[in-house]
Amino acid sequence: MKKILIVFVFISFGSMYAGGYRVALQGQRMLGMAHAGLSVFNNAETAFFNPAGIAFLDNKFNFSFGVSGIMSHVKFQNERYNWAYETDNPIGTPFYLYAAYQVDKNVSLGLAVYTPFGSSTVWNNWTGSDIVNEISMKVFFIQPSLTYKFSDMLSMSASLIMVYGGVSYNKNINRYLTGDNGEKTNAQLDSGITGAAGYDFSLAFRPSDKISFGLNYRSSVTLDAKYGKAEFNNVPAILSNKLKTTAFSAKLPMPAELGIGFSVKPTDKLLLALDYNYTYWSIYEELRIEFKNGLPPSVANKSYKNTSTIRFGAEYQLNDKMFVRAGYYYDQSPLTEGHFSPETPSLDSNNYTFGFGYQMKKWAVDISLLYVDGQERTDYTFVKGEGPSAHKFGGTYVSNAIIPGIGFSYSIN
Amino acid sequence: MKKIIYILVGLLVASSFTACEPEFSNPVGDNSYTSGDADFSNYVAVGNSLTAGYTNGTLYKSAQENSFPAILAEQLKLAGGGEFTQPFLDDDTNNVGGMVLGTTPILPTKLVIDASQGGPERISQIPTIDVTNIHPGPYNNMGVPGAKIYHLGFQGYGNIANLPTGTANPYFVRMASAPNKSIVEDAVAANPTFFTLWIGNNDVLWYATSGGTGVDQNVAGNTNPTTYGPDDITHVNVFGFAYQQIVDALTANGAKGVLATIPDVASVPYFTTIPYNPIPLTDQATVDALNTAYAQYNAGIQAALQNNLITQAEADARTISFDLGANALVIEDEYLTDLSGLSLPSIRQATADDLVVLTAKSIIGVPDPSNPQLIHGITIPLEDEWILSKNEISEVRAATAGYNQIINDIATNKHLAVADMAALMEQMKNGLVIEDGSFYTADYFNGTNLDNLLFGLDGVHPTPRGYAVIANKFIDVIERTYGAKLAKVIPANYPTFDILPTN
Repeated sequence: MKKILIVFVFISFGSMYAGGYRVALQGQRMLGMAHAGLSVFNNAETAFFNPAGIAFLDNKFNFSFGVSGIMSHVKFQNERYNWAYETDNPIGTPFYLYAAYQVDKNVSLGLAVYTPFGSSTVWNNWTGSDIVNEISMKVFFIQPSLTYKFSDMLSMSASLIMVYGGVSYNKNINRYLTGDNGEKTNAQLDSGITGAAGYDFSLAFRPSDKISFGLNYRSSVTLDAKYGKAEFNNVPAILSNKLKTTAFSAKLPMPAELGIGFSVKPTDKLLLALDYNYTYWSIYEELRIEFKNGLPPSVANKSYKNTSTIRFGAEYQLNDKMFVRAGYYYDQSPLTEGHFSPETPSLDSNNYTFGFGYQMKKWAVDISLLYVDGQERTDYTFVKGEGPSAHKFGGTYVSNAIIPGIGFSYSIN
Repeated sequence: MKKIIYILVGLLVASSFTACEPEFSNPVGDNSYTSGDADFSNYVAVGNSLTAGYTNGTLYKSAQENSFPAILAEQLKLAGGGEFTQPFLDDDTNNVGGMVLGTTPILPTKLVIDASQGGPERISQIPTIDVTNIHPGPYNNMGVPGAKIYHLGFQGYGNIANLPTGTANPYFVRMASAPNKSIVEDAVAANPTFFTLWIGNNDVLWYATSGGTGVDQNVAGNTNPTTYGPDDITHVNVFGFAYQQIVDALTANGAKGVLATIPDVASVPYFTTIPYNPIPLTDQATVDALNTAYAQYNAGIQAALQNNLITQAEADARTISFDLGANALVIEDEYLTDLSGLSLPSIRQATADDLVVLTAKSIIGVPDPSNPQLIHGITIPLEDEWILSKNEISEVRAATAGYNQIINDIATNKHLAVADMAALMEQMKNGLVIEDGSFYTADYFNGTNLDNLLFGLDGVHPTPRGYAVIANKFIDVIERTYGAKLAKVIPANYPTFDILPTN
């Protein structure tokens, strides 16, 4: 236990992995089966996937916690200019802590702390440095929930979501500006930690021991950084009056998500789950940074589109202690043509998951492995910052990620 | 619990195996680029300042590093290109260009923008490049600033003993393989398998930048270049003969290459920045006073017309009048009928067909020190050196067209590629949108768009950013003619000129 807690000290956040900057790693048991957890109510992970499902847990007290390690690579190339670069992303470690408590026959409480959004992309010494050198987003969600069981078959829940987080972002001013030392002039933007709130509604329906349905809607949350700090490095003497440390404001939206899931147990040992997620990414229209010192605002058109994700997962019980799991899901990129930016180079992806669970009397250990196979894409974006017109920046991207994870659950009556 | 650990370790091992990097279906690499029918293993660039990397009024170290041949050579390396050497310039320790002979400055330093003054000026440092610091070539970059077509075959152009008589070139003195080797001899000695040849610009340009003070040797019918002055237009036949010899020499071993054409004189900002009518008048009293001042001259012109000494058209052109608003400069024009017998000077007002040289900025509107009532360009006609008049432009254009005809004919006969630099420079001056959407403008010196210019502060030479556009043009032509596949460069990654808080 102590070792696990030490891991949490080194939290850095998820790298580019799921659609946009969404990082779907919120439970190792569910992740082993494609993260299809909307209608699977068997441990505290349901406090995230579908808090209404807490009512159907076998035990009164349920706890889960876990962490993943994201090792991701993105490659970029463009034959016209002999460009070939790749990211040097740090290992991301998103984590979760869940508690579920059945107060009485009808009422349950849940508490979920998790990190569903995050992106840490590092491009070193590369040709798109006027767009991004390094960007990292860190966001915590804290979600207390109240569940009411209407009958043996139906429960519903409502949750408050409190969000804390921020973004740090470094890019060069443009392709050619250098300081008097010859190094490129760059801007370092730190939003600081900002809070915001949202909500979640969910529904669990279990008409029989063999079949379950789940529905979950998580609202959008927009982090509104009002007191960010922009610093400029390697500023030439001639611009030292203009490029001075300044405050800035920016809004970063995190989209709403609707999920509907279905699971069935064809035999006592086999569990099959199917989830559909719809993510309202179109909320991310632009990234607008307003500087307080009179510098013109920096506006990047994002024009994200809504996305669908379909997840198939299976769990097979080998004996009374051991479970094996596998899953597949297809993840869509929310980036639209002509707005494909290397800050969050999200690609359509095929995702394969594997898991293993070991159940003891009160404790359970779940390990998972996710392989993200990003599909090659040739696209571009327009970059402003050099005089009257924007220029086009593009090429071909491909990515993958290996994400092992470990989680622990504890249940008592 | 042991089992869990085994499985955990197993998964980690599995993930380290599969943690391979993603791969492209067609990765960009050594096989992406080819030389086609050409052989880039030894590329030699022959030419003048445009080939040397000259910009902002001189040649300095960092500018040479970004000469168009250096940029091109770097791209050719992707398709079999070898090392590309350039004339020694390591003694330009302060990167300001210029040149000295001992302690005597013989060429000025680079132009910079002094933000406290606003305009371009020579950076106030002492050049460290000494003409006597000779590092014999041959080099791959055989661009010699100031070279005209007939200098390329001249033995002695690199002989320091000829400097006092002005027949040697200080740049070539420093780089010639031996004092009496010619540029072409050294270029051939460099053994090119591939070459670019961009020569002939100065054969018309110097006449133009001098405001047409030299002689058009086509009109004079003089084909002996040893008698030419520096500001003369080279006879087209002299150009044709020399050009053929140079190309024959460069292709003797079967080398392929690109011949570049000569841009129109009006395609550099040096001639297009100052308008013909830069005199704003806002009060009627001044307008009346000026018209009164020229009343006697205008009356004399009418008298000359009555006596059939000049045509109606010339009389109209020579009638000087001012109005409220923008007014044309008053200029001298030696092509007007000589009416000095009537005590009438050969002057008229400029029209849109005349070009004012960039350096006239320093004199237009300046009062005469001896009589502040007299203003240059208004009450003192601008002398020939500040204006390239309509007739002078025609001479330059006729010669340029003649040269370009020769270049195209020889390219056709020799099966060589032609880079239409005449067209490209026109676009560079007017403003163009390049492949990646970057926009470059012609609003030279308006002070707000310094990043979007391709010409340097001397108004004639591109900046390294402009040379990158030129290198891309050569790449286009090489790909098209020789079936090569090369990578292009991004001009925005190349520098322009220095802006200093003070100088």
